[in-house]
Amino acid sequence: MKKLLGVALGILTAIGGFVDIGDLVTNAVVGSRFGMSLAWVVVLGVVGIVLFASMSGRVAAVSGRATFEIIRERLGPRAAGANLLASFAINLLTLTAEVGGIALALHLASSVEPRLWIPVAALAVWLVLWRVKFQVMENVAGLLGLLLVGFAIALFQLGPDWGELLRQAVPPSPPGTEHPASYWYYAVALFGAAMTPYEVFFFSSGAVEERWTAKDLGTNRLNVLLGFPLGGLLSLAIAACAAVVLLPAGIEVSSLSQIVLPVAQAGGVLLLAVVILGIVAATFGAALETALSSGYTLAQYLGWSWGKFRRPARAARFHLTMIVALLVAVGILMTSVDPVAVTEMSVVFSAVALPLTYVPILVVANDPAYMGRHVNGRVANALGMVYLVIVVVAAVAAIPLMIATGAGS
Amino acid sequence: MRALARRADHQGVTQQTGRRRLAAAGLALVVTLAALLAGTGCVASRQEPGQATAAVADALAEAGSAGETARIAVGLLDEGRVTGPVADTVLLDQLRVLDDAESALTTLVPPDAASSARRTTGLDAVGDVSDAVVAARAWVAARSGGDLASHDVPASSDVLLAELATALDATDAALAEAGGP
Repeated sequence: MKKLLGVALGILTAIGGFVDIGDLVTNAVVGSRFGMSLAWVVVLGVVGIVLFASMSGRVAAVSGRATFEIIRERLGPRAAGANLLASFAINLLTLTAEVGGIALALHLASSVEPRLWIPVAALAVWLVLWRVKFQVMENVAGLLGLLLVGFAIALFQLGPDWGELLRQAVPPSPPGTEHPASYWYYAVALFGAAMTPYEVFFFSSGAVEERWTAKDLGTNRLNVLLGFPLGGLLSLAIAACAAVVLLPAGIEVSSLSQIVLPVAQAGGVLLLAVVILGIVAATFGAALETALSSGYTLAQYLGWSWGKFRRPARAARFHLTMIVALLVAVGILMTSVDPVAVTEMSVVFSAVALPLTYVPILVVANDPAYMGRHVNGRVANALGMVYLVIVVVAAVAAIPLMIATGAGS
Repeated sequence: MRALARRADHQGVTQQTGRRRLAAAGLALVVTLAALLAGTGCVASRQEPGQATAAVADALAEAGSAGETARIAVGLLDEGRVTGPVADTVLLDQLRVLDDAESALTTLVPPDAASSARRTTGLDAVGDVSDAVVAARAWVAARSGGDLASHDVPASSDVLLAELATALDATDAALAEAGGP
């Protein structure tokens, strides 16, 4: 019974932790401009993140070491260094977007200027990182993030023409009013949002924090196989809400406040409050994960003592890295840069960095020296190779598409 | 000893040749930049008529989106489906969008009379939407207990929604004229 509860909790936190500010903004923007015609990208991204998260979780559970430690050992300091530079930069950008997301959600609830919320949000993130245990932190943020299910409830209450939504989604093609280049730009952005690199670093380091062993592989598989696809459904619900309410009115999403209007229309103040709380929790949880990922990647590469299972004094450089990353994020946001614009940049640059993150995981997951009999099977490798091609194409296309479309405008 | 001297001579010649090549490359770069500046720097900023019209259409589409968002927010607040702070934040965000749209139009240099007329019409339409959203914000503030002079605040949401509808009609007309959807 205890094990069953543990599995259920893992799945629920995986669902609640799936959506972050990148998913929220990108899905709403896409829904308001392209309807459900990019739903296939969410499906593609979810399958990809399921594949690679389960791979990195397996690596951590079998070897007892986090992915980045093994990447450095297996690929050497130069290749791993390049990986670290790209991952750390994207991570920092994502952390900035998440802290900005918390501030925007609090601004929405209170009407108080977001720049006043930014230091408060960062301080709260740091306090949790400093004081709260890993498991408590992960479970509370994940469970509260489940409140985003309000988008799915809103969708049902709006009573959309399901046939029309399906027609938009299948066969996928850009609407006549949009340029194909913009369509593909947002396809890459959506893919980057679903497969954000920090998720796998957090997932594998989290496995070490929770002391997973080969016996936990089944639980890992269940969490990923059920939790992430259900989280993906939340992403689709966000896009569908925008497609039902905002698209027909000719509204292009450019702020977080527009994203919640369909929810208010469907469920009134109560559902709106639930969803705003869910947004705060989802962005807060993602800010914790990205801040931790900054510490994890740097500490694992440089061989520092790391982990929340250690007292901060025994992993001082790991904690210092997170503090510096948070301060940089606050500094960037205090320049008055639009957090939504930062979010859009972060998902596109995530797409650029995808091969650097996922190629080494595939290499390590196939190395019997680390994995023993738990190396990738044929299906995982075939899918991995297919995704390798997709992530390389997305990475190569991201910047040219960004320039050609003026960042999708 | 001689070998060392020969090597030193050879190094000196190589360094001299390297410096000459560097100077030649620098000179070529300066000449290229000067030519580029002479070709482009003496002409005032300008756009093709099609580009100008597209820029007007983009700004009007943004203004239309902001106006529609404001209309939904006012309607929802009137029905009690959103709170005052949420409606205020929505409207504030839309004022920023309208500010960007207005800025895009004011900084546009129209290449011909037709584009100039479209820009003027566009500026009027964006201004009307901005006025309506500003009025909506005052209405939200008054509804939430703000102490505003009665002449600054629309009498009811119906008046406000009518004002927004008129402004949005003008935006749609200007957008259609600029070749928008």
